[in-house]
Amino acid sequence: MTLSPAHTWRNLATLFKAGALFGLFSANAFAAVAAKADSPICPAATLNGSQHFGVQYQLSGAQHGTLQLLRRQAQTAYFNPGNGVGEWWNFSVAEHPSFIRVFAKQQRRIDYYMGDLRTLNIHVSQPEIESFAAAHLRSQLRHKGAGSCADSQVYEGDYQQVHYRLLWSDSLQLPLQLTTEHKGQIKQWQASKIMPAREVDMLLSRWQQFADTDYADIGDNETDPFLAQMINQGFIEHSEHAVYNSNGQPMSGQHIH
Amino acid sequence: MKTLPHVLAALTAAVAAALVSQTANAAVLPDYQTQSSWFTAGADAVAAKVAQARNTGSTKNVILFVGDGMGVSTLTAARIYQGQAAGHTGEENRLSFETFPYSALSKTYSVNQQTPDSAPTMTAMVTGVKTEDGMLSVSSDSIRGNCLSSKGNELKTALELAEDLGKSTGIISTARLTHATPAATYAHTPERNWEADSNMTTEAINNGCHDIAYQLVMDAPGNGLEVALGGGRSYFLPNTVTDGEGATGRRADGNDLTAAWTENYSNAAYVWNQEQFDAVDTTTTDHLLGLFQSSHMQYEADRADDVGGEPSLAEMTSKAIDLLAKNDQGYFLMVEGGRIDHAHHAGNASRALQDTVALSDAVKAAMDKVDLSDTLIIVTADHSHTFTIAGYPARGNPILGLVHAPEDTTIAQDPTLANDGLPYTTLGYANGPGAKNGARADLSAVDTTDVEFLQQAQVPLSSETHAAEDVAIYATGPGAYLFQGSVEQNVIFHVMNQAAALGGTKY
Repeated sequence: MTLSPAHTWRNLATLFKAGALFGLFSANAFAAVAAKADSPICPAATLNGSQHFGVQYQLSGAQHGTLQLLRRQAQTAYFNPGNGVGEWWNFSVAEHPSFIRVFAKQQRRIDYYMGDLRTLNIHVSQPEIESFAAAHLRSQLRHKGAGSCADSQVYEGDYQQVHYRLLWSDSLQLPLQLTTEHKGQIKQWQASKIMPAREVDMLLSRWQQFADTDYADIGDNETDPFLAQMINQGFIEHSEHAVYNSNGQPMSGQHIH
Repeated sequence: MKTLPHVLAALTAAVAAALVSQTANAAVLPDYQTQSSWFTAGADAVAAKVAQARNTGSTKNVILFVGDGMGVSTLTAARIYQGQAAGHTGEENRLSFETFPYSALSKTYSVNQQTPDSAPTMTAMVTGVKTEDGMLSVSSDSIRGNCLSSKGNELKTALELAEDLGKSTGIISTARLTHATPAATYAHTPERNWEADSNMTTEAINNGCHDIAYQLVMDAPGNGLEVALGGGRSYFLPNTVTDGEGATGRRADGNDLTAAWTENYSNAAYVWNQEQFDAVDTTTTDHLLGLFQSSHMQYEADRADDVGGEPSLAEMTSKAIDLLAKNDQGYFLMVEGGRIDHAHHAGNASRALQDTVALSDAVKAAMDKVDLSDTLIIVTADHSHTFTIAGYPARGNPILGLVHAPEDTTIAQDPTLANDGLPYTTLGYANGPGAKNGARADLSAVDTTDVEFLQQAQVPLSSETHAAEDVAIYATGPGAYLFQGSVEQNVIFHVMNQAAALGGTKY
């Protein structure tokens, strides 16, 4: 698989067109809102090295929203509880990851297989997906010392015209806090809740029960109202890889704002 | 009887005219015309047609190849693609089945839609009756998605008729074996999406409808299918089972239909990867089930990168014929290139063309195995796509490339520009994911021949759609001559029925 941070960012951006992760790294449309001063929640020592947990991130700045990262061994999912849209990766066979888009409000799933991902030119990096897309970024920043949480480190620096300050959890291998500043505009992601394994299992189990459709079969199901909406009104895969319509709004869900 | 002398006279005149045509032409046409390679090749083609005797006898075997979504433009582009891959200009190339002596155009509309899906089209081909979209081998008196309405409206298929006659039967697809095209040969259901029991409604279960995978193994006609090779493994496995490639089954009823296959039949085998497939001894195996993916098999372009390994469509066809041909009563085999359609839906011409070439290779493999004096081979499509071959590219211009016009005896270095000042590809779609809102992308620096490239499209849709124009039928072997002109798609069944004396109707 191609390790391309740009692809990874763009893929994560499928959860939000105009906010959240996409906005974080495009960093070009933020209101000048100061970062929240709250401290991030620190993970318990018992989570050290765990691959079975979740982290809820709170976004502050021009865009407000919540994003959950769910981890269960080789599976990583990002879920926006606001619009009920999620993306669920499974790297059990690392060279052939499987990918599922979840639409919780409709209780539907779209399953993507290797050939589907290739036809859509979706190439992702497992480390980027599993690190909240911060693995490569961390290597570009300066280490500033230990952070406020146990087993945490602070990194800071400029990368691609954006100033970053990252509080990195060694035990979770994830950001606890990520602040960006671009042209005086500040935005911050902050871990607000550590989700226990049972909560992760509950969500993934629920999604597993949703009615699923292979991406390859969407075109043969134009009479299905849910899929017809995908075919005719949005779900633009090619140019943006996004679950949003041509007006830039998340499909079938409330906007993150 | 009164017309016979007239017909004979006409035939005699035609034959005589053809035989002397080159001589006659030589008298009235200049040498540079009659000695042109185009001229002599054309004359040879006509002479071959004149000399060809119709095989009006019965056929023992029938092989029906279906390229899902393989419209005429797909065939043209695929033949050029294959020819260019072999180092030629491409246009003069022929796919294996384009050498067949007989052809016709097939009208694909369904009872309720101008542009159909694969369910009613395959139903038409294997039952002789058109039905409504989404329904498999039940008549249009049924209501889609309503089990009760389909009861008593089941349409008997060519595969079932063959089983009744003691022939062996087989299905092969690079899509799921429960997908519409293969399913229409053996299943009867008012909803193509009822592929596993977990996909069914309460109404369907309460009224005794069976899911498609179940019908393949547990409700099979005659002594059961002898060959079933393709994708869709998860539809045959319980949802408590993880398969050899890490995918979970989806059956809620607990049935392991792969185990049932080997239990129900003697000398039966179930395989799920290339190694197991290669090890199958067709002399000792009488019922072969191969499920090589949890869902659809890989595109041909990606097949070599599969986790467990997958046989090609040609390999599956060849092995199937070895097994089926053991029956002296003959066989009926359906082979589908199922992923041509999916690649088109994705707006990805390269994969669609590679899968079309794979189907051509499978036909070639069949032709190398069978005796055409007792085997009818038909190659057709269920429907078309909005796929176009446009512009005025030079002869030999890369079929996946930008349009470059001819320039003297070469190809212009610079691409032809459209009114927006941008170059454009030869291949494109009328709709699909390759469309953008706003200005068209500049492809000047894009490698449009890359397998991942999505052709540009006019109307933005997330999934490119089927198209309604006629598709082609190619045929060879006994009864093939019955394909002439423009026919309704359901005529295909009647030709098979007539040629193989399946007993569905007397003509």
